[in-house]
Amino acid sequence: MKRSNVVVGIVALGVALVAAACGNAATVAPTADTGPLTVWLMNGSAPDAVISALNTEFQAAHPGVTVNVELQQWGGISDKTNTALSTQSPPDVLEMGNTLVSGFASAGGLADLTSKQSSLGGGTWLQSLKEAGTLDGKLYGVPYYAGDRVVVYNKDLFARAGISAPPANRDELIADGQKLMTANASVPGFSALYLPGKDWYAIFSWVFDSGGNIATKSGTKWAGTLEDSAAQSALSWVKDMRSKVGTAPGDGDETKDDSVFESGKAAMVIEAGWHYGVIAKDKPELKDKLGVFPIPGASAAAPVFLGGSNLGIAAKSKHQGLALDYIKLLAGSKYQTQLAVQGGVIPNSTTLLNLHASDPVLSVADAAAARSWFVPNSPNWASVESNNILQDMLAKIFTGRASVADATKAADQALADKLNQ
Amino acid sequence: MQHVTSAAPATPLTGPAGRRSRLFGRRRAATVPWHVPYLLLAPAALALGAAVVFPFVYLVAISFQQFRARELIQDLPTHWVGLTNYRYILAKPEFWSVLGRTLIFAGVNVALTIAVGMGIALLLQRLGTRMRLLLSISMVLAWATPTVTATQVWQWLFDRDFGVVNWVLTSLRLGNFTQHSWLSDPTSLLGLATLIVVWGALPFVSLVLYAGLSQVPEDLYEAARVDGANAWATFRRVSLPLLAPILLVLTLLSTIWDFRVFTQIFVLQKSGGISEDTNLIGIWAYHQSFGGTPNYGRGAATAFIGVVILLMITAVLVGRMVRIGDES
Repeated sequence: MKRSNVVVGIVALGVALVAAACGNAATVAPTADTGPLTVWLMNGSAPDAVISALNTEFQAAHPGVTVNVELQQWGGISDKTNTALSTQSPPDVLEMGNTLVSGFASAGGLADLTSKQSSLGGGTWLQSLKEAGTLDGKLYGVPYYAGDRVVVYNKDLFARAGISAPPANRDELIADGQKLMTANASVPGFSALYLPGKDWYAIFSWVFDSGGNIATKSGTKWAGTLEDSAAQSALSWVKDMRSKVGTAPGDGDETKDDSVFESGKAAMVIEAGWHYGVIAKDKPELKDKLGVFPIPGASAAAPVFLGGSNLGIAAKSKHQGLALDYIKLLAGSKYQTQLAVQGGVIPNSTTLLNLHASDPVLSVADAAAARSWFVPNSPNWASVESNNILQDMLAKIFTGRASVADATKAADQALADKLNQ
Repeated sequence: MQHVTSAAPATPLTGPAGRRSRLFGRRRAATVPWHVPYLLLAPAALALGAAVVFPFVYLVAISFQQFRARELIQDLPTHWVGLTNYRYILAKPEFWSVLGRTLIFAGVNVALTIAVGMGIALLLQRLGTRMRLLLSISMVLAWATPTVTATQVWQWLFDRDFGVVNWVLTSLRLGNFTQHSWLSDPTSLLGLATLIVVWGALPFVSLVLYAGLSQVPEDLYEAARVDGANAWATFRRVSLPLLAPILLVLTLLSTIWDFRVFTQIFVLQKSGGISEDTNLIGIWAYHQSFGGTPNYGRGAATAFIGVVILLMITAVLVGRMVRIGDES
């Protein structure tokens, strides 16, 4: 009785293995790639309507192919992607934050798309997104969309403080901020500009505006440049400005920006252009009082961090052809136009940059993107982000735990350690 | 098989000798086939082997290899690199400050957990039935709260802008705590983490100690009273020696738990503070393994160093336990 059970079990296992082997053989056959195609997109990056329209069009062109779009959260995405890329059935198409592409590419997780560049419309891509998707001269990440930060402000509070026009440079930012602080002295915890100390995407705009940088590469070695006088003086200026025009925590990050602004305890926050829509939706009575202007620099608008995403194909994907066709659609002008109009992002091509011309918010964000900065293009950059090196430096400076000189020195050492590992 | 039950407890159990003969009697051993105990142990051994032994052996193995995202993703063979990972970690000043911080943090947490837990256990012993029930239920509820949820709630209580703690302290005129940040100072952040860790560990520790106290024979206390011992002397001379084995086990468990604290600090670091000055060894190992540019070999080496240090500490405690076992 027992023995026959074992035999049945072994036979069943054998059948299952044979069946699995057949399954594998069927999927690698090049002639009939029926997918399914797995697509990882970041949560909130594209409106659902755009993606479902695209899926319909894709499936019409590829009958019988199922497309599974799986929305991913930004928190912990780097670890999750590294793990997924190592499996035998990775996602076929991936959206990746533009600071992360070179890390995945250098680990060998992404397919080389250099030869596909012209067929994907590579001639008119935004330069910065293209560079973010390139490692050692090879293309791994197709530009998807970009986004940058602007100052969102409350026109009502500005008018009541007697300010007629938004500040055009950083001196005016302090002057206007102080007027706002005086006018709202009775509001506990009020900030003219709510700028949490760890919001390095916003704060480094002033470092780059002063001619500073995060790190530079000479030969094969990276060196931090935060101790340079340009960066140090910019950070000292930010410290002084923060103390004069706001009460945001020196060791906090930007997650509370919207709620503080909506509660009336801030007249300005620095956020991606689409937060304008979020605030207007959360608090409709603020809708007509909202305005935006570029981050003011020493003499004009400061360079902005050009965030955004690239699209890649997993090196181990068994559906390379389908994946490429999917990216062609998503990064092509039809759906890029829809993303720009419905999603409010900056599209990937210079030919589409006039789409926001009539929009009072997005046109400001698009114009600001003309002067942008980006993180050092090193495969190890993700390590700098996940170890909070810049955030720790800023928090130390703004909470007074270390001088600008000491904090930047420690950060430069940490940058060299992480970037050259 | 069937004869065993009827044959075994023939004689009344009068002392240790009787107990021994019941459990390990020759007659019983003779009738049970030799492989039965092993069969009974097998499921637990298999589960432990799969969940503990295999991962641990694998961890030790990759700590001697160069194993990064590149090897993982491209299925490249990993190279044995000897002690390279260990040398890299031990040469980092950061490692030593993290280790020192972890040892101090764990020491303070264990001491507080045991001391306050003992206090609550004594309180439970003296409370009336209703209050004892209420306190026990509250503690079980605290115990049942998942760590991430609990930490998030504590973080909100101590929030700089919206936290109730700052409001209460300011309202009580204990100082101006408006917009006081509890996280920006590393000691303060670790102090808050201590509060959360001890709060989470107290229910188990105090309920176990209370159970231990309830086993102390009442006549010993009576005798102490007759001899004119005060409360402190009674505690020191009667309760404490009898609780010593339980206290040792609890200290051992707390040491292991508090040395590995991860969630509480990780969640608090997301809300504020300076990561570099508040990392404990668990978080540091996590960053080595998975942070941005993964290096699983270095992460495994860090974890293994942690295990070795923990083993050295627990060996002392286990040694004492064995000695207590021998004496009694």
